[in-house]
Amino acid sequence: METNTKALQSLALGWLIPGLGHVSLKKYWRGGIFFGCITAMLILGLFMGGKIYSYQEEGLHLKLIFKNMTENPLTFLATLSDLGYGFIYILSKLFSFGLGNLKNTTFEFGTTYIAGAGLLNYLVALDAFDIALGKKK
Amino acid sequence: MIFKSHLFSMILYAAFVCVVLALIRKDERKAQIKYALSLFVLMVFGAIIFGWFMYLFV
Repeated sequence: METNTKALQSLALGWLIPGLGHVSLKKYWRGGIFFGCITAMLILGLFMGGKIYSYQEEGLHLKLIFKNMTENPLTFLATLSDLGYGFIYILSKLFSFGLGNLKNTTFEFGTTYIAGAGLLNYLVALDAFDIALGKKK
Repeated sequence: MIFKSHLFSMILYAAFVCVVLALIRKDERKAQIKYALSLFVLMVFGAIIFGWFMYLFV
């Protein structure tokens, strides 16, 4: 039971801040490298004028989520990937950064860097979860 | 605005992704380096080859 709690805690920490899940499991080097790579990708993406996508509808009812998925499937998928770096995503919504600059020639690349960082952080958080469960070293 | 070169942006992106994936997928240091390098080569040259392939349809 305690192992499951620790695993869920490392999953949540890893999602909130890249690499923090590994640091909580005393994998300092690995956590540091994950933090460095994912944060660098995110910052570079923002400097390139990339966009952090957000959920388009008012409310979280199943009907509205389904409407959002069917009307803007790519935006919906981009939102899911951007949700991957938890705390910075919340900050970006609170302080309105990452709105994207379409005039930049690097807009598409910046958006790809940001989405890639989010997707990688999902994998990193799940890796911390597996380590805490003892499935991995 | 930074990184006007799309090729450089793609190479840097591939480098970050390779480092993270190698650390996730492999446990031994030697295996991590081998995996990261092979993935990097595959991503960069794969993208260049695919880019030339798309050029056929211009």
